Amino acid sequence: MANFSIVGQRLPMVDGPDKVTGRGLYTDDLALPGMLVGKILHSPHAHACIRRIDTSRAEALPGVKAVVTGRDFPNRYGILPIGHDETAFAVDKVRYIGDNVAGVAAVSEEGARQALELIEVDYERLPAYFDPEETMKAESNWIHDEKPHNIEKEYHHQFGNVEQGLAEADLVVSERFACSEVTHAALEPHSTLAHYDPATDRLTVWSSTQVPYYLHLTLANVLGMPKEKIRVIKPLIGGGFGGKSEVIPVEVEAAVLSRQAALPVKITYTREEVFYAHRGRPIQIIELTIGAKRDGRLTGVKARIVQDGGAYCGYGPVTLLYSGALLGAMYDIQNVQFDGYRVLTNKPACGAMRGHGTVNTRFAFESLLDRVACELGIDPAEIRLRNQLQPPCITVNQLRVTSYGYPECIRQVVEKSGWGEKRGKLPYGKGVGIAGSHYVSGAANSIIRSEMPHSTVNLRVEDDATVTLLTGASEIGQGSDTIQLQLVAEELGVRPDRIKLVAADTERTPIDLGSYSSRVTFMAGNACLAAARNLRKQLFEAVARVWGVSADQLEARDDRVCAQNGSGKVMSFEQAVAAARQQFGTLEATGSYAPPAEARGGKFKGAGVGPSPAYSYSAQVAEVSVDTETGQVSVERITVAHDCGRAINPMTVEGQVEGSVWMGLGQAVQEEMIWNQGRLMNPSLLEYKSASTLESPEIVPILVESVDPEGPLGAKEAGEGSLAAAIPAVANAIYDAVGVRITSTPISAEKILKALRERQKPQARGNGGRR
Amino acid sequence: MIPASFEYFAPRSLEEALQLLAHHGTEAKLLAGGHSLLPMMKLRLATPRTLIDLGRIRGLSYIREDGGRISIGAMTTHAEVESSELLRRRAPLLPETAAEIGDVQVRNRGTLGGSLAHADPAADYPAALLALDAECVLTSQKGTRTVVAKDFFVDMLTTALQAGEILTEVRFAADSPRTGSAYRKLHHPASGFAIVGVAARLTLDATGKGSAVSVGITGVAPKPYRATGVERGLLGQTLDAKRIAEASAQATRGVEPLSDLQASARYRAAMAAVFTRRALAAALGRAQKQG
Repeated sequence: MANFSIVGQRLPMVDGPDKVTGRGLYTDDLALPGMLVGKILHSPHAHACIRRIDTSRAEALPGVKAVVTGRDFPNRYGILPIGHDETAFAVDKVRYIGDNVAGVAAVSEEGARQALELIEVDYERLPAYFDPEETMKAESNWIHDEKPHNIEKEYHHQFGNVEQGLAEADLVVSERFACSEVTHAALEPHSTLAHYDPATDRLTVWSSTQVPYYLHLTLANVLGMPKEKIRVIKPLIGGGFGGKSEVIPVEVEAAVLSRQAALPVKITYTREEVFYAHRGRPIQIIELTIGAKRDGRLTGVKARIVQDGGAYCGYGPVTLLYSGALLGAMYDIQNVQFDGYRVLTNKPACGAMRGHGTVNTRFAFESLLDRVACELGIDPAEIRLRNQLQPPCITVNQLRVTSYGYPECIRQVVEKSGWGEKRGKLPYGKGVGIAGSHYVSGAANSIIRSEMPHSTVNLRVEDDATVTLLTGASEIGQGSDTIQLQLVAEELGVRPDRIKLVAADTERTPIDLGSYSSRVTFMAGNACLAAARNLRKQLFEAVARVWGVSADQLEARDDRVCAQNGSGKVMSFEQAVAAARQQFGTLEATGSYAPPAEARGGKFKGAGVGPSPAYSYSAQVAEVSVDTETGQVSVERITVAHDCGRAINPMTVEGQVEGSVWMGLGQAVQEEMIWNQGRLMNPSLLEYKSASTLESPEIVPILVESVDPEGPLGAKEAGEGSLAAAIPAVANAIYDAVGVRITSTPISAEKILKALRERQKPQARGNGGRR
Repeated sequence: MIPASFEYFAPRSLEEALQLLAHHGTEAKLLAGGHSLLPMMKLRLATPRTLIDLGRIRGLSYIREDGGRISIGAMTTHAEVESSELLRRRAPLLPETAAEIGDVQVRNRGTLGGSLAHADPAADYPAALLALDAECVLTSQKGTRTVVAKDFFVDMLTTALQAGEILTEVRFAADSPRTGSAYRKLHHPASGFAIVGVAARLTLDATGKGSAVSVGITGVAPKPYRATGVERGLLGQTLDAKRIAEASAQATRGVEPLSDLQASARYRAAMAAVFTRRALAAALGRAQKQG
């Protein structure tokens, strides 16, 4: 165990006090003199051409300062270079109920609302597509003309030889899984305050974004302004979960309205607008086949996945590729086939949501693997161990695995959950289930296809011997500010409170790609270490010269610099800084991180998604109780082990792991966006149930520290990898409890009751033959 | 989310409130806690021109017993009902039901009268009022009249209240000896409203036979109803688990269960039977405990 003083400590989160006391400022808390209220006119039709828009009456309304439609800002944008299919407002066509038709900025909210009612739009309705499998059959009236048959993207990957693998299997099982759409339901609704100042021709934007840098690029593109005229600032964020990881219409709309009005404009989405902005986890239909030898060794896996993408590209193709790339990559499977379709429908676009792309596939895979284990008479924990990877290794789809704590995670949850005493042995109605999942520690390839570092951090020592940490990384509640601060403090050997953090302000902080795909601890963390080491080097050089010793004999710890040569020389950090200042003047350093070439994956079409410098692993045992009269499931306990490489801050890692499990449970048993002809039937938190603390079962988190060779001090991802396993763990536990397998999410009471009725006799349970 | 603009009155007396109501007619809505009305106004599902706030009228909030009859003022909050010692002793069905409404914030502000007059088909109180054979006192400038609970609930969001009338009081008989009651509910996971809510009250005679049995069911149909089929199966019978289970199968007899996002009609019907049985079984246990 390395001898750390600050890393490994349960340091309270640095942004915690402001948040819990209400002092902290979120975007909607901000106000500027003369600020206008922006409102959006949304499409009432799922698919229609816009024949005419008349905004004259709205413009004439007193207090209205700007009315903007699609033709005013027609530049297309999108988070992926291959998917620039959105505009600030619809130019000639609306593609989903809620699509953006026009924007108004007025001196009052009521005025803006009245103005919206005065905008006249003539629509010509078009046939609309809602079902992901039906939409692929469309012969005309495609949602985007350039996407025939409403297929946004399709990928066909074959590694090894799946047919041969399945032919060699002793058991082949197939199942069709259907996952409903779920959304992030962050507490903070999307909000943007944009201030275009005509005097300086500059635009400043405060926004609830996980990706200030991408927002910066997009705004420059949409407004046709040079980048240097735009500044993006991320205030406190009240939860993102992926919903703020691409540019959301409100961000562009506030900016164009401010540009038009030449006054500050703020727009905060209503909860209903948040639901319709969506970009959450899509409906997926997964047809999955697994082959296994009698001893449980997997010989092949094959998946056909249809993803209901909604009306725009967004992150969609990445979502789909993750579904394929991580399908077989947590186990040693030599034959993997993936056929994926990202199809367009007249609904809001899906996108990135915690566990991006991997969650539904993992539910399907781990559920079916449980069935394989049961049919072969192998303990489900054991079958997972029998198929473990042998790292360091490269998977068949060319993902490099350097550290792999998954087997240890399984052993830990088996031991701590009482698996052996419970599985197949609890009374009817109670059961346990096991499942695993994994996730990337950031994408090895940048989505914008740039070769620049993914994270850069600057450090500057001030005259008072405080250290300013300038980082572009975005704290979104996951703890990134705290982790960066701990890493720098550790490496400089200073008290954490010496460090002042300036983050996520494109004018002041270096470029960071943003908070998504669990990349910040790994990448910004490595950049922090590099910067701190550079700074320490200067400090040691200065001190070494004062003492007449060699710099490599020095150590920084506990706010002091010490000589390790038996001389007993000690200098406080302040004195060391003073010495360095005398010699160098200013004391600054920079550090950056880009994933190494060998972690960047293969060359086939779609190979860019999936590769990561390191992967986290998670194993979970769920213990459930099923009310066999109502079908209601109560999850009583989750024992979860997460391989986070090294826990920089065990408290925040546990928080992330618990949060992931909890979010997974929401999808497992209750969350579902319900659509009717493109209209969302439950667009409020009074109808769409997201789990609250009240519903949380006991969650027992266990941290497995595999110490990754590439990670910062060995750390890997912690914020997403434990989500996916929660769902199949619950599904498998339900099977153990009552002997039915539910192959769709959410696993509602009604579905369970129906399955129980169809399978009347409790003796037919397949859980190892008990009772 | 802001409501459309409206005129606001906060009368200090019932007379003043009735006067305002008579004057503003159907343009006016009464504000009695606001936990249904205000969200509807914010979503602009309701856009009343005028709000008459009953919150400052003294004398509409009370719980008292007089000669075996309990009366509760319409502006009594759910929290007050829930925590009333008198009710817990004399008619525990109502506090048990009140405790299941919404959350603490809702129970601190929402009122008995407000909830009843709103007549949400998934509200909790109506089941209890039906099981208690309660009467609603309706007051207008012309005087007062009473309507029994069964007739008070007319349809979804519709009651027997006429223009110019305010629900001012609810009355019912306190429990007689050897009476047990219970409220059992399948919660909507997000809103907490009843997908199925069953209030049961039963009284045993000296031989253990059901001398009075009443079952009120909410959430299942467009309006709350008495499960008379269930009651008939138990009245005058020796009550035990088996007989209760048999009778509970009649929970949706004669009604057409609702079908919505949360539960299909079929599931609702099945759950009505399950929760009726559970409520009756709990009520029986409590009645038997009284010896």
